[in-house]
Amino acid sequence: MNLLQIEFRKIFLYRTFWVILGIYALLLLLSIYVSKSVLISGQTVGASMFEFPGLWARFSFIAYFFNLLLGILIIVLITDEYSFRTFRQQVIDGLSRKELVLAKFCVALGLAVFSTVFLLALGLIFGLLFSKDKSFSAVLGQIDHLSYFFVQSVGYMTLAMFFAFLVRKSGLAIIAYLAWAKLVEPIIHYQLDDSLDKYMPIKVFGSLTPTPGQEIIDQLTSPTQALSPAWAVLPALGYIGLLLLGSYLLLRFRDL
Amino acid sequence: MATVLYLDELSKKYGSLQALDRLTLQVEAGSIYGLLGPNGSGKTTTLGMVLDVIRPSGGSFLWFGKSISKETKQRVGALLETPNFYPYLTAKRNLQVIADVKQADPKNINKMLDLVGLGTRSHTTFKGFSLGMKQRLALAAAMLNDPEVLVLDEPTNGLDPQGIAEVRDLILRIAGQGKTIVLASHLLDEVEKVCTHVAVLQSGRLKANGPVGNILSAQDQLLISAENLAPVLQLLERLPYVAQFGQEKEDITLTLTEGYTSTDLNRDMFAQGIVLSQLLVRRKSLEAQFLEITKEEA
Repeated sequence: MNLLQIEFRKIFLYRTFWVILGIYALLLLLSIYVSKSVLISGQTVGASMFEFPGLWARFSFIAYFFNLLLGILIIVLITDEYSFRTFRQQVIDGLSRKELVLAKFCVALGLAVFSTVFLLALGLIFGLLFSKDKSFSAVLGQIDHLSYFFVQSVGYMTLAMFFAFLVRKSGLAIIAYLAWAKLVEPIIHYQLDDSLDKYMPIKVFGSLTPTPGQEIIDQLTSPTQALSPAWAVLPALGYIGLLLLGSYLLLRFRDL
Repeated sequence: MATVLYLDELSKKYGSLQALDRLTLQVEAGSIYGLLGPNGSGKTTTLGMVLDVIRPSGGSFLWFGKSISKETKQRVGALLETPNFYPYLTAKRNLQVIADVKQADPKNINKMLDLVGLGTRSHTTFKGFSLGMKQRLALAAAMLNDPEVLVLDEPTNGLDPQGIAEVRDLILRIAGQGKTIVLASHLLDEVEKVCTHVAVLQSGRLKANGPVGNILSAQDQLLISAENLAPVLQLLERLPYVAQFGQEKEDITLTLTEGYTSTDLNRDMFAQGIVLSQLLVRRKSLEAQFLEITKEEA
């Protein structure tokens, strides 16, 4: 609890943090607002975009793209501590390296709670305004997709944490993180057999919020091997644990 | 007397560079211990290791006879190299973060800000501070939970003469409260003015250590002048306790053998009817002594 309070003191008056978070919220709102005119699998999504209960899966899929931004925010917060040398000072003053990692993980959890609640609010607003079916069972029917999104959000941020602790410089860490998520791992996917690459971290995190209309695509082509969201939770939690452990070991075995 | 810090063969290697080579020393409670050495001699590396931010390559150290832990850290206040704060937070908010980390009483924040003379600037953001103010804020942070030991790395580095005087005055005041201070510096005159004990480091090796008086002050040098120098020079030839003397323009510099002081010289001069117009006791140049220490076995 003390750790969370310390982190809050650091963040509360940090303009950069609130600007990035504001951009995140705005972009997510905007994307969802315009999403009904998006083409998926050759047809406009149209008003069906905001229909309960499928809304939760569709919204989670849109929000999935913006997890990258939350990761960048985490990288900024961690690499700041290196450039201000405040990690060093806090270890001198009494924190352990485990607590440094834990404190940042608390921030990641906090941000994931924020993004999930924000998505819940957006879902309720758009759904209650535009959905034809507003029955209780329809609204809550597939709301479990939000919990998958939460795990995914935490996953992306722990991956970002790992790169921040590894690289320590903000620009380079952001590039390394984006390159891994969007370039390096996809290239590895391409080389590997589907039965293996479905267990790669970005693929696992992605499986938590599958592409809406995947069933239709599967009928046309050979079905995807990706894990179902429920099955992806366990390996995703495993990766989160490993990345946290990796972050700790990086701190443990290097000079600050 | 209790040992506050004990280093046993502490070593650090950066690749092939031996930054610190088996340093063994101990700091007693109540002393002001100076780590003296030129830049790159291993002072900051030593302090970084005992402060848990640099991993030793070998050897060990004990604080208060125990391994380093949260408990020992709370008994030590330290500033290493630079003042480290969040630039966008005010002095007071920065200290709040540190008070949380150290689990210090938040009431101390204003007290410490006043002590270092930043009471009126507590709502200025850190990035708006001058270097001297940053350094003083770091001192306030180090003292926040009233630690028994202060570790200060080049605390006067980059300060103007007034700032240097203020910080030294502050250190002496803190030491006056019975605290132990470990001070790294490349300034001989700083160590001599402030410290009770000193360890001289060069290229990661311990060259000498002990009480400042033993290490840094050998024989004093006297500087005298008189209206007429000729009789003075004649007398100096005959005095048995004058080790050596030489004329420098209008003055004569000389050193005495051990056990004799300027009083003896003055008395004998006066007995011979010579009145000195100037008699000055000058410490042997610290730089010269330091070079002597570091030259041995180099």
